[in-house]
Amino acid sequence: MVLVASGITTEGGRADEPRAFAEMLEVIVRRCPFVRPVRLGVAVLPARAPSRFFGGEEAVVDLLRRDLEDSDALAAGPLGVGVADGLFAAWLAARRSAIVQPSGTAAFLASFSLSVLGRPEMAQVLARLGVTTLGRLARLPEDRLIERFGEDGVHCRQVAAGEEGELRGLRDPGIEARLRALLEGEPPIAQPTFFGGTSLSAERALGSARRVQSWAGADAVLVARLFEGHDPGDRAALVPLGASGEAVLTATAPWPGGIPAPSPMTVLANRLPVVLRDPAGDPVGLTSSDLLTAVPGLVQVEGDRTHEVTAWAGPWPLATRWWSARRRRARLQVLTTAGVGLLLGAEAGSWWLLGRYD
Amino acid sequence: MPEALRQKIAPVVMASSRVLPVTEGLVPLIPSGDLRRGSTIVVAGHAGTGATSLAISLLAGASEAGHWCAAVGLADPGVAAMAELGLDLRRAVFIPRPRAGWAEATADLLDGAELVVLRPPARPNAAAARRLVARARDRRAVLVVVVEEAQRWPVVPEMTLTVASATWQGIGLGHGRLQARRAEVVVSGRHGAVERRTTIWLPSATGVVAPAATVR
Repeated sequence: MVLVASGITTEGGRADEPRAFAEMLEVIVRRCPFVRPVRLGVAVLPARAPSRFFGGEEAVVDLLRRDLEDSDALAAGPLGVGVADGLFAAWLAARRSAIVQPSGTAAFLASFSLSVLGRPEMAQVLARLGVTTLGRLARLPEDRLIERFGEDGVHCRQVAAGEEGELRGLRDPGIEARLRALLEGEPPIAQPTFFGGTSLSAERALGSARRVQSWAGADAVLVARLFEGHDPGDRAALVPLGASGEAVLTATAPWPGGIPAPSPMTVLANRLPVVLRDPAGDPVGLTSSDLLTAVPGLVQVEGDRTHEVTAWAGPWPLATRWWSARRRRARLQVLTTAGVGLLLGAEAGSWWLLGRYD
Repeated sequence: MPEALRQKIAPVVMASSRVLPVTEGLVPLIPSGDLRRGSTIVVAGHAGTGATSLAISLLAGASEAGHWCAAVGLADPGVAAMAELGLDLRRAVFIPRPRAGWAEATADLLDGAELVVLRPPARPNAAAARRLVARARDRRAVLVVVVEEAQRWPVVPEMTLTVASATWQGIGLGHGRLQARRAEVVVSGRHGAVERRTTIWLPSATGVVAPAATVR
């Protein structure tokens, strides 16, 4: 299965102005309700669902391009629609109106100049070493980068190599708030639009939700957001109704992805410690190759009594792209004698509850 | 094609209809195939037996048809699982921790959302419960209450769905995974109406609710 994120950019012309950009979003949202602004002039949407619906990425790109070119909202100007795996590659793909297959991400990125990383000082230092393209940066050893540029150097190398999909700093966390502020009093770009239409029922439902916010606090009322990534169906976060883009990015960490559906109906926002022991009562840990050190026999979630384990599956090592391999993480499903399915997380010898199959 | 998607995106307004559709997989439980607006449904089951999944799947049909849903008191909602069951997250709001404001939040949301799932505190106040049932009726919304045991909700509902037992399949001793859950659900109506027992997948291996053949 090909999972891609598409980036849509307009450069120059009216679309660099917030109002024209908001109008551009309005055009896209009619076809693809999950579109999100990334920064001024750049919008992103998960490509998988619409491509399935319209029959391929090329068809989606064509449709969006036609929509945007036909709309009265946009003055004619340079417009790029591109598809690639990850926000950064898709952003560059849009500059060249390209569709990049996931297997070709690294090769596609290789020829771009280091200037696209938006780190002029790093680019200057690397240029002295003869490193001027993403392809050359991708081949540098990480230990040298960390000495010279710290963790950000490693991050940039991974982005350049196509190992990390999103470049830090590419997103403008305040863009949604600014668009909303700009258009306040103008209904077309109101929040409900991003959630699929400004119908009467949406107005009513969101009105009642805002009423709860007014007395319970803004953080009491949440909406789910899906966003682009390797598995858009699973990439979801809960953010306060009306929150800016920044909250979307910070709320993703505990998401248990990577295990096929069904997903846990309860996903814990905070870590709840778990004690996992073998039938003899000795602790169960992970070996350096992500295997269990003993057979799970007893599980105790903090605040609950100990249950016997009747079945388990995993552990599945977590595909982390964290630069250091010291942080080993894994997931394990256990089934208790009460018939309750639990999803556990493991790191550094300790276990915690990620979710429950309620 | 664009028109088809536009229709899919634009929430369907069926305010005049007296019922809300349920998803196909629930027809064994709800033969009429719909939920009556203004009604209260209790979904009962012990933690981990699938009562929350059943409650969310009750919303799926209406959600897919364009109606708005709200969940009050589901403290740590697994939204991916909800989406798998058919809840359209674009038209769903969550109040995970209303604390003392659970009844007020539910009342407010019954004003605006067509379906509200509520997990009340362990011992909900009877007067507050009666007010919410009346509010759902007035606002022509559907209130779905999730509790551990049916009698914990102090007002007699239009319908009670109790998950009597649930068994996971697909997981072994260190192999497989939690793949599908077979649940026996008891359906009872108001005032001691005849009980029915039905076996469903909650969910099936494809992540949706589906009828299951009875094993004898």
